[in-house]
Amino acid sequence: MLFNQAIEIDESLNDDVMRLSLSGERVRYSLRLKPADVAAAKKSSGLKLPAKIGGTSIAAGQTILCLGPQEWLIVALPKSREKLAGTMAKLSADYICSAVEVSHRNLQFTVTGPGAARALNAACPLDLSVDAFPVGKGTRTIFEGAPIVLWRTAEHEFTVEVWRSFAPYLRDFLAKTAKDRHMA
Amino acid sequence: MMLIHCPYCEEKRPEIEFAYAGEAHIHRPVKDADDMTDEEWSHFMFLRDNKRGDHAERWWHANGCNMFFNAVRNTVTDKFLVTYKMGELPPKASASNAKLPAAKKTGGAK
Repeated sequence: MLFNQAIEIDESLNDDVMRLSLSGERVRYSLRLKPADVAAAKKSSGLKLPAKIGGTSIAAGQTILCLGPQEWLIVALPKSREKLAGTMAKLSADYICSAVEVSHRNLQFTVTGPGAARALNAACPLDLSVDAFPVGKGTRTIFEGAPIVLWRTAEHEFTVEVWRSFAPYLRDFLAKTAKDRHMA
Repeated sequence: MMLIHCPYCEEKRPEIEFAYAGEAHIHRPVKDADDMTDEEWSHFMFLRDNKRGDHAERWWHANGCNMFFNAVRNTVTDKFLVTYKMGELPPKASASNAKLPAAKKTGGAK
C-alpha cells in the first residue's frame, strides 16, 4: 500500500517561471559507516557511495547523497524497497554501522523552470548559481526555518527533500514569494 | 550575510547554517567528578575566558554536514581568522594570523 503523502499543490505554483511538483513515494535510508569500513562496504553492497561531502550519485531510480563525513542519504523508488532492505540488513550484519529506514520522514519535491534557483533563494541562503552549485551537487541546508536536502539534477531543475511536517510550509512559502520571482 | 568556511565541507557556507557552541579546547578533568570539590568542578563547568579579541571557539554546522569544528574568531570585529577540524590545535601564528591564542588546559586542581 502506498503511503498517503496528503499534500496538494496549487495551480499558482505552476507557471513558466517555476513549477513545483510533488514526487511520488520514495524509499529512504540514512547510512553511517566507520571511516575504515567505507571502501569494503561499498564493494560488498554495490552502493555507489560518493566520497566527498556534497557529492551525489544519481542513477535511474536511486540517488545517493553524501551529507557529512561517512553519512549518506539513499533515496530510491518503491520498487527497489525489498532489494534495498536486503542490502541494508547485510551491511548491518557485516559492519558496525547505522542503516536506518527513514522513508516516511521526508517528502520530495522537484522545482523546475528558469526561475527555480531564484525561487529557492527566496528562502535558502546558498549561492545557487551553476558555478557555485553545479549539476550533481547536493547538500543539507536550510529553507527559512526548515532543514532541507537539496540537489541539482539539471541547470533549471532541483530536487528538495523536506520533513513531511514542514512540507506545507515550504509550499506556502514558495506561493507567497511568487511575486518576487516575476520581477527582475 | 557572513560566510563561514566549514573545514569538513571545505567551502564557505552561510552563517545561518551554523550554531555557536561555546569556547573551544576546554579539557574535561581526568578526575572523577565525585572526587573533585565543587569549586574545581565549577571551574570546568562554568568559568570561561569571555575574551575580547581572538577567541578559539566551537561551531556546529547544524544545517549542513552536522559536524562540530573549531574556529578562531575575533570577538570585536566578528571576523573569522581560521577554522579547523575537531581534535586539531589552532594553527601556529604566522604572518597572516599574527596572534592566535594557544590551546590551554583547564580543569582539575587549580
